[in-house]
Amino acid sequence: MLTKMNKKTKRSIFCWLALSPIICVIVFPFAVMFFTSVKPRQEVFSFPPTWLPSQFVWQNYIDMWQATKFSDALINSLYVSFSATFITLLVAIPAAYALARYHFAAKSSYRLFLLITQMLSPIVLVIGLFRLIVWLGLIDSVNSLVLIYAGFNIAFAIWMLQNYFHTIPKDLEESAWMEGASFLQGLTKVFLPMAIPAIAVTAMFTFINSWNEFVLALTVLRTEENYTLPIQVYSLVGGRYTIEWHHVMAAALVASLPAAILFSWLQKKLVTGLSSGAVK
Amino acid sequence: MNRNLPLYLILPSLLLALFVISYPLYELINLSLSDVNRFGKVRGYIGLENFTYIFEDPLFIDAALRTVVWTVAVVGGTILFSIPIAVILNTEFHGRGIARTILMLPWAISLPMTAIVWRWSLNGEFGMLNASLMNVGLIDSPIVWLAQSATAFPVQIGLGILVSIPFTITIFLGGLSSIPLDLYEAAKMDGANAWQQFKRITYPLLRPFINMAIVLNVIYVFNSFPIIWVLTQGGPNNETDILVTYLYKQAFSFGHIGQASAVSIAMFTVLLIFTIFYARMVMKNEK
Amino acid sequence: MKYLSTSLKSIATGVSLAVLGTTLSLSAQAAEEVRFTVAYYSAKTGPYYEALAEKFEQSNPDIDIKIEVVNWDVLNQKLTTDISSDVNADMAIIGTRWLVDYVKEDVAEPLDGLISKDLKERFVPAFLNPGTLNGKVYGLPVAASARAMYYNKDLMQKAGANVPTTWDELADSAAKISKIDKSYGFGLQGKEVETDVYFYYGMWSEGGSLLKKDGSSNLASSASVANAKRLQSMIDNGLTQPGVTSYNREDVQNLFKQGRVGMMITAPFLVNQIKEEAPELNYGIAPIPSGASSATYGVTDSIVLFKNSKHKKAAVKFMDFMFTTEQRAAFSSGEGFLPVLKSVSKLPEFAQNDAVKTFVNLLPQARFAPTIAGWSEVADITSNAVQAIYGGADAQSTLAKAEKRVNRVLGK
Repeated sequence: MLTKMNKKTKRSIFCWLALSPIICVIVFPFAVMFFTSVKPRQEVFSFPPTWLPSQFVWQNYIDMWQATKFSDALINSLYVSFSATFITLLVAIPAAYALARYHFAAKSSYRLFLLITQMLSPIVLVIGLFRLIVWLGLIDSVNSLVLIYAGFNIAFAIWMLQNYFHTIPKDLEESAWMEGASFLQGLTKVFLPMAIPAIAVTAMFTFINSWNEFVLALTVLRTEENYTLPIQVYSLVGGRYTIEWHHVMAAALVASLPAAILFSWLQKKLVTGLSSGAVK
Repeated sequence: MNRNLPLYLILPSLLLALFVISYPLYELINLSLSDVNRFGKVRGYIGLENFTYIFEDPLFIDAALRTVVWTVAVVGGTILFSIPIAVILNTEFHGRGIARTILMLPWAISLPMTAIVWRWSLNGEFGMLNASLMNVGLIDSPIVWLAQSATAFPVQIGLGILVSIPFTITIFLGGLSSIPLDLYEAAKMDGANAWQQFKRITYPLLRPFINMAIVLNVIYVFNSFPIIWVLTQGGPNNETDILVTYLYKQAFSFGHIGQASAVSIAMFTVLLIFTIFYARMVMKNEK
Repeated sequence: MKYLSTSLKSIATGVSLAVLGTTLSLSAQAAEEVRFTVAYYSAKTGPYYEALAEKFEQSNPDIDIKIEVVNWDVLNQKLTTDISSDVNADMAIIGTRWLVDYVKEDVAEPLDGLISKDLKERFVPAFLNPGTLNGKVYGLPVAASARAMYYNKDLMQKAGANVPTTWDELADSAAKISKIDKSYGFGLQGKEVETDVYFYYGMWSEGGSLLKKDGSSNLASSASVANAKRLQSMIDNGLTQPGVTSYNREDVQNLFKQGRVGMMITAPFLVNQIKEEAPELNYGIAPIPSGASSATYGVTDSIVLFKNSKHKKAAVKFMDFMFTTEQRAAFSSGEGFLPVLKSVSKLPEFAQNDAVKTFVNLLPQARFAPTIAGWSEVADITSNAVQAIYGGADAQSTLAKAEKRVNRVLGK
């Protein structure tokens, strides 16, 4: 027993040592964000620079929150990300189910189509996308972002979901149908509950992608009250005569928190969700 | 059972994807073949003139070559780092959950914000990177990282690798967890050491996941914009320009909508060829 | 086909609306809405224009002014994409150097017939000129500035250096200041907007010019090459801050505010920033060093009215209100720009202000960006060549190559 414990402890030390360089690089920007965000304004440009501030100015966060209208941007980002995720799942789940369960003529061409959409990124299409949004009359509207984020996330969502759906035994919903359940009942009562981990992981991917998207939001949104978080933070840096670095860092840190929490919470499920990816 | 049922099931996703992607693509093809002014007004059809213009532009050629370097370096580096990290994270050790969460963190900050924070950290005078490196004794005097492409571009590649690692190790961890443990037991019985186990079991079984990670990362990295834009905007002297930053400048700084659309189409074609080529190769190997 | 496309559109819109569960406000506005895109100058810009609009609406209840504040680095992009899709605002602030593109493509409305003669005569002529093309007024100057040399008095004194009047003296003073620990003699901008301009100062003072008489680029002139070599040697001798190509204007200004840079060339608005952020800084303002000739760079931003606006009369009415003494005085002192109205420049706040006087006195020798289509691309090519030179490339051949590229853009 004791030797076994020792072995694991030894291994742990080795593992942490091996990971330490990359962990340093990962933690570094967070440390920069944190320590810059609590510095008094005049210390931000002190030379030579130091990590620790002379005093921790938590007030910076309150000032930043007001000066940057952070709550508006937060609400916009939440609205866009949740709506885009919802729509993506709404259309991707049935499609993934069809691809995982049925053989049909258009199947391989549909897969190809999805692969092509996967290859395109908003930056490459930005000129055309802008015209589409104008045509819809949705310029400066966060709803245009919802629609487009959903469209761009479909391919990946379907691909993830169908890989996972493959691993759910077919007999389960089939036996439900044999027992007289309707098609929908079989799906919602038997199949979907089994698929919840995969759906959660897919949802998270879509959410993160929407949460972090930059180029389109920059092109489409016009007025500050419609800005999403990345745009709001970027606007504190781009084309300004003075940059309030302590506010920028505070905003960036707070903006990263929701996604970071989501990750630590779903980290285990994420791996199992993707692990089925090899099944072709 | 209704024969058309699968079609009904895929229909909503097809419509949405078509709507969001096909129309813009159609517009881009049109624009790339037209004489367009900076306000997007089409003056007429000019055939392939936009394409010949960009192919004759030395800056475009440089950016294209640099994009190849950028993509190969970032994707290669990502894969190279991610395999050992994933193997470590797949072994059981104290605090593994924490380690996994930390390694996911770069994913949680959006790319422009990561780039903004690094731009500040890389500042020659006030940045914490120089201060830290000098504290540790790795350098004697501050380096102005972004002042010349010789240091700026490698830094950008490093950042590209850093932000691609979380997604990649997630894929690899999924792959590793699907490898049956008794294979290793059997190998150990045969007296295989850790490296041999990796070479004979882990690597071959991880292969499909590596392929997948390469394809997806190539697509992401090839199209990646914020890191280079926020750090250097392709400068100094266009020496860190890649195709997307070239495209962005043509379209939005200089108002060459037609040429920019041609760049878009060229990029799309390259990706298409890559994907088809790669899909073929992988399929052949698997046979 | 047309029918199909419209019905598709209505279906698409309907579906997306239903799915998103939103309500578009299609209700007709009671008041006439005039949309105004405003460039971000500082944190004060938005509130200033909001207050201005509110004051205007009080006396004009039938007009509703909607202010949209946009950052400079995306302003031109947003305006052009908006115009390309016919969703642009009625009026906007633009960099006057972009105006020629707007006029050439026929999106800017000439203002002569719309504005009163009185309004036109309120402006300082030097600032109204850049917005006048082919004899017609297209842009009314809304912000004006020139460039002058800021110097740190304490550093000068400590180093025993004099305020330079020529570039040789500048190098001399810079050398002395650079000997002080943690200090750099001359702050040289090497990145982003106006990198090319920072190069022109020295080129102009050597007697160089942007264009030859035939309108082709004069970037590889002997004056330009001499200037490039001088700046190169200053960099090599450590008279500037290290890594100049990673410094944009704001970065150099930051160093100056920290008291780390002896001299730099920039705009009047730095005065306001220093007042707020580094009130202790002991500095002075002097003309840009001269040589064969002396010159500064003049910049104006203009308000333009777009051709497709359906509210031109209301928009012009608002302009008329905006360009009155009281409103403009508040803007100029708030943002730190030079007065564009004659009446404002006579106010004691400006007429007796030394900093403002220094800048205003430079105006007769101010050169503005030439009104040439595609100037932003020319500026970009020049900035890149300048960066290469600062990085150590051969001045003569780099400038010659850039000159060729510029001529390709200019069609010469």
